[in-house]
Amino acid sequence: MQITKDLFGLLGIVESIYERIKKIFIPPRAYSWQTLIYLSIFSWIMSSLAGYPIKNVIAFFGWAFLIAGTSWYTTDQPILIPGTNMPIGAVITGFLVSVFAFGHEEDIITTRTIVLWPTISALITAIPEFFEGSGIDYKRQIPKAEVRQRIIVLVGCCLILSAWIQLYFTVDKWARQYPSLLFDDFSRSAFVIKTGTRRQLPENGAKILNRIQPLVQQQLEATPWSNVERWLIEAPNTKNSLGRVNALGRQVIQDLSRQSGKKVRENQVESLEELRYWNVDARVINRKGGGYRLDLLASWDGPRSANKSYYLRKSCQIDPISRPADVSTVNIKKPGERITVAEIQCDRAPKPIPESLPPKQ
Amino acid sequence: MLDFVGFPFFDVSPVFPLGAILFNFLFFTLAIPIEAYILTNRLKFDKRTSIFYSIAINLFSGAIGWFVFFLIEPILPPEIRSEIVSYFFFNRPGGNTSLLILMMTAFIIFFSTFLVKFFLLKMALMSLREPGQVKQEAQIIGRKTSRRLGRMKLQNTSILTTVLIGNSLSYTAITIIILVITTLQK
Repeated sequence: MQITKDLFGLLGIVESIYERIKKIFIPPRAYSWQTLIYLSIFSWIMSSLAGYPIKNVIAFFGWAFLIAGTSWYTTDQPILIPGTNMPIGAVITGFLVSVFAFGHEEDIITTRTIVLWPTISALITAIPEFFEGSGIDYKRQIPKAEVRQRIIVLVGCCLILSAWIQLYFTVDKWARQYPSLLFDDFSRSAFVIKTGTRRQLPENGAKILNRIQPLVQQQLEATPWSNVERWLIEAPNTKNSLGRVNALGRQVIQDLSRQSGKKVRENQVESLEELRYWNVDARVINRKGGGYRLDLLASWDGPRSANKSYYLRKSCQIDPISRPADVSTVNIKKPGERITVAEIQCDRAPKPIPESLPPKQ
Repeated sequence: MLDFVGFPFFDVSPVFPLGAILFNFLFFTLAIPIEAYILTNRLKFDKRTSIFYSIAINLFSGAIGWFVFFLIEPILPPEIRSEIVSYFFFNRPGGNTSLLILMMTAFIIFFSTFLVKFFLLKMALMSLREPGQVKQEAQIIGRKTSRRLGRMKLQNTSILTTVLIGNSLSYTAITIIILVITTLQK
């Protein structure tokens, strides 16, 4: 018995839900908000079938119907956001208007949509206060002073909210322009917090060194030892001139910035701003038992949390080896002669070192 | 124009300007009561209205300030932007900013907010006037009476000084708080 009673109760619930759904979906009159929503769905379907120029026109009307229908429905039974005089409906309508106004075909929701959403919602909240009556017969009016006060405060708050959202996107843009900052310590920053984990390496610095290394190897591998020694003397920057490694570095950075660039306008490329703050240098150290150690260094001169700068180091071992001369060798005096050439081996990954650059030798 | 980057759908920004938003909020919670108090004291509004005026001028001047910032930020030269990034992310200017430029910026910000707030207060005063009232007043002014005009002028200057005092006090308060926070941090 109990079970059948429960079953009937359940049926009752289902029936009431059905009634409610019916009330929502079936328009009570021809002139109601449901009609508008149906019109918008209809125009959406039609626009997906239509060809190019007409498609946009129908889609435009679809949006107009959708916005009108939503705003009508939500002003019929306004539910306020707690603590404010803003109906939830205005927020939904505001979102639709914002998407409609700032969305593109490629990406429907742009940052502008999100940024201006609160402001548009506040304006939508304000509009009905300037009209009296409902439906078709309305007349314009200026709301009471008290209502005006509330509207002004609401619009002000929403403007500030929009500004904060835009601030988030601006900071995000900065973080993308200066990805190496994420390697730094944010614990003492008063204005921003880091949401991700700390990076192991500043990405671009590591990329620069990793691209210099094959160039250096290419220039030194299997070259006669005397040429290598001359090259190594010219490798680091001196007081008066920039070294060979720095020249390679600048070339690499230029390539990187060309690759990282996104097209802003025609022929105008905006590259990663942080690349200008990477400086490349080298140090050559004599090793015991012959050979040299070449340190490729990339130092960071941009924004940082500590007074001291930091740099990345990638070390290469350069050893002389002797091997029989072959066809590629020039200046062979007699066949079978052995010549000394360089063999170069580099570390796998660069190491970050939290100091300023080591002194020159 | 405003530089909107492509909307990141799934990758959330690695940094969040929580502190900046809280600072901005703190600024409003300090400035609004201070300026409301000055308004009640000097211009003899009742408390409710002066709080409304204070809220309106502070929120709108804040919004205008942010808007100007977002407008000029994309066209700044990269050196200055990196200074801003350095200050914003690590609370330290990049090192080669001169004190003069900092002072100049502070002065410009202070006086432009002051002017903006003055005009906003005038607009807020206008917004609460009943439409009929405006006409009446206009008629009275039209009918001449230089004394009345003089009083209008006086009112204008008193609004100006009031806004100046309120703005200075609120800026002083927020500066003191920022100084206290930075010294506590060190």
